[in-house]
Amino acid sequence: MTGPSDLPSGAEHRLEELRGGFFTSDLSVNEFLLVKEAGFHPLGFVMGSSIYHTGFQGRRWSKSQELTKLTEAMYNARELAMTRMEEEADELGADGVVGVRLDVNYYEWGSDAAEFIALGTAVKAEDGKSYRNRLGKPFTSDLSGQDFWTIMQTGHIPQGLVMGTCVYHIAHRGLGQALSSVGQNVELPNFTQALYEARELAMTRMQDEGTRLGATGIVGVRLEEKSHQWGSHTIEFLSIGTAVTKTGEVSLPKPTVIISLDN
Amino acid sequence: MLQAVTSLSQGVHRPDDRAVTSDLTVDESLLLHALGWEPVDLVFGVSVTAVQAGAWTWGRGQLQSPSDAHNLAVSTASSRLRQECAAVGGHGVVGVRAGVEIHPRHVDVALVGTAVRPIGSDRPPVQPFVSGLSARDFALLAAAGWSPIGLAFGASFVYAPRRDAATALRQSRQNVELTNPTQALYAAREAAMERMQASGLALGAQGVVGVQIAEGPMTFARHVIGFTARGTAVRLLAGEHRTITPDIVLPLNDAVVQFEAEALRGRR
Repeated sequence: MTGPSDLPSGAEHRLEELRGGFFTSDLSVNEFLLVKEAGFHPLGFVMGSSIYHTGFQGRRWSKSQELTKLTEAMYNARELAMTRMEEEADELGADGVVGVRLDVNYYEWGSDAAEFIALGTAVKAEDGKSYRNRLGKPFTSDLSGQDFWTIMQTGHIPQGLVMGTCVYHIAHRGLGQALSSVGQNVELPNFTQALYEARELAMTRMQDEGTRLGATGIVGVRLEEKSHQWGSHTIEFLSIGTAVTKTGEVSLPKPTVIISLDN
Repeated sequence: MLQAVTSLSQGVHRPDDRAVTSDLTVDESLLLHALGWEPVDLVFGVSVTAVQAGAWTWGRGQLQSPSDAHNLAVSTASSRLRQECAAVGGHGVVGVRAGVEIHPRHVDVALVGTAVRPIGSDRPPVQPFVSGLSARDFALLAAAGWSPIGLAFGASFVYAPRRDAATALRQSRQNVELTNPTQALYAAREAAMERMQASGLALGAQGVVGVQIAEGPMTFARHVIGFTARGTAVRLLAGEHRTITPDIVLPLNDAVVQFEAEALRGRR
């Protein structure tokens, strides 16, 4: 299961219908109209997924450290889902994928297994120009249709969804440390430091991905902190955003100020 | 209950002075009136379809019986919705909310929405439209030259074989993809999306918007992966798409930024 050629039988027929001009999309009507207004036409609802088993890595009670094997697993599984989604978009001749959602679902597949899924709407420019990124692949972006329109108006073009992740084990406090802070207002430096370090690693990795795409910036960055199923002291830091490059001038009109009567 | 459905669908014609029932918000009703449309009545379509006994347990590959049941339930419910709509003199149903429940032995589908018509029109079309989009979306689509036609839907349920014990043991400490469920998910998704597209094409649509999907193992049969997809089929009515140029506004409402301690940790 690596490419569209491995899609189940029947996929060819479905993609054929989509190439014939019929489209599917999970965009809302607002988003659909704004994507059209931005000069793009939706081609199809694309998806990539992987059900992945994460390995095991020992942790030390009193040592803060990155769990590289788990980080690798999170990277690898997300990459599989994203690449498969991109390949589908590529198969449709898309210039990009908008409204990308990247989710991790835990079901009872057995222990340590999770489903990584990437979903979005493949779009193609109506003016015939290519908007692919500098790796020659369709751009991906987790911006909504509204944000996509706005960012295009400000002369930016999305390049790709970039992310950085780091699975980190935060050391427990020793008995002595715990006792010495009883009844006091104090910062717990080892916790603070571990959180900072993990966040820093995740952010740096995201920025590296942005640089590789030749981006001038990353917008809409979200930082998620999740324990998944690893217990309270092991945390995944995930930073994710859309890398953009500036190509043109801002053609965004001045906003009209309104006082809405809604509450 | 079926009696009620039949009596309704056989058309107790609505006297024009009867009060209008609708679940539209005030804004939506005003918007409809601005377009020259009005709500008529709240209409329903319900269907419960049986799934063959043992289909989940003994089926391998694509499970035909549950997906047929889903297909039949949704299409029956939506044709009942159309019948009710036609009976009250509506031209179509907007804001259709769908409750779809898949049980081991049956599939339940309940659709409810508001029948609408051009103001004062008493000649309903042969085939009223059904739209899962809100009245606001209906107005927006109309402004861009599009019209909703009906619900496009598809479902598929695929059996995913377990790993054998030796493989499970070998993989227990590795980072690996689990190919069986991944492949089953792909197969389910492919079949469901293809069915949704086919139902959209059968309605004469040019596209499907607002697609919602639900996927994952069935709660009562963990080795079966289900994928359902549903959206609203749309067609371009005007000769070509009319772009809608948005105005950028900055609302001056009271600041809504609130301090949330949880948000700092990314756990909203």
